[in-house]
Amino acid sequence: MIADRISLVVIAVVVTLVVAFGYLRLGDRALALLPLAWNRRLLPWLFVAPAAAMLGLTLVFPAILTVVFSFFDAEGSAFVGFANYSETLSDSVTQIALRNTVMWVLLLPALAVLVGLTIAVLAERVAYGGLVKAALFLPIAISAVAAGVIWTFMYDYQPPIAEQTGTVNALITLIPGTDPVAWIINEATNNYALIAATLWTQAGFAMVIFAAALRSIPEELHEAARLDGASEWKLFRHVTFPALVPTVVVVATTMTVIALKAFDIVYVMTNGSYGTDVLSTVMYRELFTAKDNGVAGAVATILMVAVIPIMIFNVRQFRRGKES
Amino acid sequence: MTFRSTGIALIATSLFVAACSSSDSDTSEKREVEAPASAVDAAEKAAAEAADGKQLGGKVTMLGVLGGAELDAFESVVEPFEKATGVEVQYEGTRDFAAVLQTRVDGGNPPDVVATPAIGEMAGFAEQGKLVNLRDVVGDDVLDANFSKSLLETGSLDDEVFGIFNSVNLGGLIWYNPQVYDGPTDPQSWDELQEWARGKAGSDIAPWCVGLESGAASGWPAADFIDEILLRQAGPEFHQRWREGEEPWTSPEVKQAFETYGGMVEDDMVYGGTTTVLSTNFAKAANPMFTESPACYLHEQATFMGGIITDSFPNLKPGEDLDFFPAPDFNPEFPGVRSISGEIVGMINETPQSTALVKYLATREAGVLIASTGRWLSPNKNVDPSIYRDAFLKKASEVLADSEGTYSLGNALMPQTEVDAFWKAGLDYTKDPEDLDSILETIQQAR
Repeated sequence: MIADRISLVVIAVVVTLVVAFGYLRLGDRALALLPLAWNRRLLPWLFVAPAAAMLGLTLVFPAILTVVFSFFDAEGSAFVGFANYSETLSDSVTQIALRNTVMWVLLLPALAVLVGLTIAVLAERVAYGGLVKAALFLPIAISAVAAGVIWTFMYDYQPPIAEQTGTVNALITLIPGTDPVAWIINEATNNYALIAATLWTQAGFAMVIFAAALRSIPEELHEAARLDGASEWKLFRHVTFPALVPTVVVVATTMTVIALKAFDIVYVMTNGSYGTDVLSTVMYRELFTAKDNGVAGAVATILMVAVIPIMIFNVRQFRRGKES
Repeated sequence: MTFRSTGIALIATSLFVAACSSSDSDTSEKREVEAPASAVDAAEKAAAEAADGKQLGGKVTMLGVLGGAELDAFESVVEPFEKATGVEVQYEGTRDFAAVLQTRVDGGNPPDVVATPAIGEMAGFAEQGKLVNLRDVVGDDVLDANFSKSLLETGSLDDEVFGIFNSVNLGGLIWYNPQVYDGPTDPQSWDELQEWARGKAGSDIAPWCVGLESGAASGWPAADFIDEILLRQAGPEFHQRWREGEEPWTSPEVKQAFETYGGMVEDDMVYGGTTTVLSTNFAKAANPMFTESPACYLHEQATFMGGIITDSFPNLKPGEDLDFFPAPDFNPEFPGVRSISGEIVGMINETPQSTALVKYLATREAGVLIASTGRWLSPNKNVDPSIYRDAFLKKASEVLADSEGTYSLGNALMPQTEVDAFWKAGLDYTKDPEDLDSILETIQQAR
């Protein structure tokens, strides 16, 4: 059984390599027969074609199909125009999900940049910085579902008369006169609690990027500024931070996309109960519970449209970075 | 990040993983699942017969909802089949059954056999023509001989049987700790029980322990009990019209059932107040009843709760430290009505192996093994109630035998969208009982 599968994998790898090599080799030979001008023009396409075909098959085609689905009814048999969009946008559940998604998009990038940058800058200056960074980096290795389970335990609520088994409540009840809080049920705290749990899994990533960017700032700049009598805060404000702006943009856009995609943690911890739905949990429910391809497609399209400006912004920043 | 700190990160991660896996093996101590040797032998014989005496070999893929000790119990039922036929049963358990099944059916990679308590969901697949008619597979004579008419009808669409019951739970049991509880153990009506409970409200020991948290399925314990109340308060006929969509969720009968349930989960009637009810996992709900200084008297849940409680507190002696009585009548017009839920088995791919497995599970011998696991009642009417060695199952089977009528819970038979809305309504109503009208309106719209 397992031997079967291993040999299958080995064969697949070998076949893929042989086919890829054969394609490039034969394509190259064939193009070499053409006049030089044509060869120059066509050669890049030869190399790009496999990747482009792969991308088209796994990304572009499904995306177009999803948009098409969003204009059809649940079974995909009758054209309904924008009915799915008006249905989902007028639903109170989707409205709450939209509100929450906006909240995620505002808070997660801001907090990730703040925490990541602070730790990265401060950890540079202390001997045990490596340990701090490792601690913050660790959660990246934990899957989102596991993180959701862990934070369900962290936020666990027991009545005031009982012993608190959740770490967060055990800590806050140390303060005399403080009652435990049902973090993920109380509507005043639950969305923030979910965002905080996601932040825990992502802040390490932000920190690593910032730490790498800090290394790339020439030490001479800092020395020169110090010689000119700049304070440490001024040094950060006028030398370090300006050099980090492109990195801040990268981290913020990555976190924005993660906030828009937020699903696992919400699904595991609340499944959207008590007003914690986000767009992807609404989409999941429309697709798998209601089995309505149309409305699910409409929600997916709304999400996709929301991501486009961020992607354009990101690509522009990337280009500008390359030019400078 | 330096190379050294990456190293630290890796070491710490592996320590974390190791810690998780070792604590895992500590808690997975198996509950003794032993069936009499004679029953196992008989089951092997029945399995060989189901396979027409052939050593079939190969495998059956099976998708279900079981995990942990419950899965061990089910596997002990399948083991004689595997031994007798050489067929390997690959069971995949998921709490996200509906989504996984739909994805695998759409992807052209469905499991051969499915087992689920969501009968309405299965009916949906039957309507799509995805399920094999088990009348042709198992045979009319065997089905009619082994299963009651109402159980067969529950798993039927028109004349085709798409699912046969594999295990049954009796719902609406009131669990209590006889060392502490001094109220009526044979109350004549729900009102009598609630009157006693109301007298205890606000004291150190709360009348009820309730827990509704259950991951993505949170709220189901509330929905199950409201469902049962409606069945026994408004009567089986109304209940059927309601679940089939002829009576709206906003009708006064449904509202009354919600309010009857609401009387149980009022802030001062439950351990820790309603916030605790919402945040407590259903499997841990009864725990405060058995701590050193018990904090509640009563807990409502189906038969399987006995197994869950004794898993957490292995020293409890059935009858002395833990016992139950069936929830009393909610309406004198409909006395002795009981509700059941259970898992049904359906077939998607008809192969010699899957045919043999389903035929085997439909036999009396397999039913005896289900009963011997001490976790479920067998749906098979030829299984002699005297074989239940588990005190709770024995008692439950007697309650069933004495009942005036047994009906499936409505929320097992509805489409999943409606069930989801019902579960959520259970949470929302417990949280904000004054919003009942708009909550019922929301489920009505989800229908």
